[in-house]
Amino acid sequence: MLKSVTIFTTNTCAYCHMVKKYLSIKGVKYDEVNLDENPHRASEAQQLSGVLTVPVTVVTKIDNSQEVIVGYNLARLAPAIV
Amino acid sequence: MDLVDEIVLFGADWCPDCHRSIDFLNKMKIKFIYHDIDKQPEYKKKMLELTEGRNVIPTIILPNGNILQEPSNQELSKALGLDIDQINSQNKSIHELIIIGGGPAALTAAIYTTRERIETLVLEKGVVGGMAAVTDIIDNYPGFEEGISGIDLSDHLQKQAERFGAVIDYNEVLEISKDSAGLKKLKTVNGDLYARAVLIATGSDYKKVKIPGEEEYFARGVHYCATCDGAFYRDKKIAVIGGGNSAIQETLFLTRFASHIDLLVRSSIKASDILQEKIEQYVKEGKITVYLQTKTLAIEGENNEVKSVLIENKSGKKSQIKVDGVFVFVGLDPNSKFLIGSGVQLDEIGFIKTDNNLQTAIDGVFAAGDIRSGATMQIASAVGEGATAALKIRHYLED
Repeated sequence: MLKSVTIFTTNTCAYCHMVKKYLSIKGVKYDEVNLDENPHRASEAQQLSGVLTVPVTVVTKIDNSQEVIVGYNLARLAPAIV
Repeated sequence: MDLVDEIVLFGADWCPDCHRSIDFLNKMKIKFIYHDIDKQPEYKKKMLELTEGRNVIPTIILPNGNILQEPSNQELSKALGLDIDQINSQNKSIHELIIIGGGPAALTAAIYTTRERIETLVLEKGVVGGMAAVTDIIDNYPGFEEGISGIDLSDHLQKQAERFGAVIDYNEVLEISKDSAGLKKLKTVNGDLYARAVLIATGSDYKKVKIPGEEEYFARGVHYCATCDGAFYRDKKIAVIGGGNSAIQETLFLTRFASHIDLLVRSSIKASDILQEKIEQYVKEGKITVYLQTKTLAIEGENNEVKSVLIENKSGKKSQIKVDGVFVFVGLDPNSKFLIGSGVQLDEIGFIKTDNNLQTAIDGVFAAGDIRSGATMQIASAVGEGATAALKIRHYLED
């Protein structure tokens, strides 16, 4: 069971757009952290993912376990939101 | 099928259920006459007579005189005396056209083929819009006087293709071959698919520069997508490797984040004059420094962070430039690895060879856009090739 989904994005990132579209199609609610609007949170995305890129999707389950998915990676994203 | 030779279908281009019924009849190879109610007032009048004044499409007249209003495929097949289960098993995953790739060439072809009522499945493994989608601003695509963002152009193309009935599926093709019946078999990560015709429009990806440090610091300081990763370099120093249109365009985009950019060009800048003029402004302001005839030898760093690049000028003098990140735009690599051994002929770089009809060495398999040998790597050209390929495919399917 999902507790929350947070995506770190930028305005110009096409892959971010795809992740958001995919979650919307699947009916999954998410919080978005737009790094163009909140540049101070870029380091948070980097700490979570270990890389300097977006999208970073953080899936938190009911038991508070977390999965961090970098990029538009359906092979990981699809099972993570079930 | 003699009994069903004179079906008349009243519909409209904007109507998804009409497309579904049309696709079904096409798939069943059942002939029918199509009357678009938006094109001829008498068609609309006739449709209203048949439905007793109700605006319902598709409205279908069967040869025995029965009228079907907005039938499901099940109802339509039952009315035609067809066994849908048998048909489904016989026609499992056989498509009229499968387009591999979801960039401008692919989506344009899909707009054209679906408008021609050719059932079309588009398979995209990454981002719809392809390379165009990850481009910040597209300034040279006709019709947008202020330019258009890559994301917006891709969105428009996708919606337009879907409006006419194209289906976009997220899937990756691993192999392509031909079966004994002449159908094209696509082995995908989600199983096998079959099609009467295939269009390969897989485009290209940014090429690696192949220097030490590039792999090691990938996504940790080495990047290939400015629109995705540029935001991590706010007020930082970066280097851009490359001197073509993409390199200059992306450098201009990165100026909104970086405090300074070193542009490392192996020979000379080959970008269009307008882009060069824009770069000049930043050079004058001191925000960009251009190094011509300069080889980038290595990307160096420590503790998972890029610290510098090692460069060599034309006289062989080496020096180090301190940077926080490196963006690489040194040309394009064709997305054609899955075609090796398929019978589709590739040129020495890996782009697909086609004839004048944009057909590859495999009958019924076409190619368009950046993936085609000789392509000009322009979105406007890719769109044109997509339209041309669609028309050639229509001829092929009619034969």
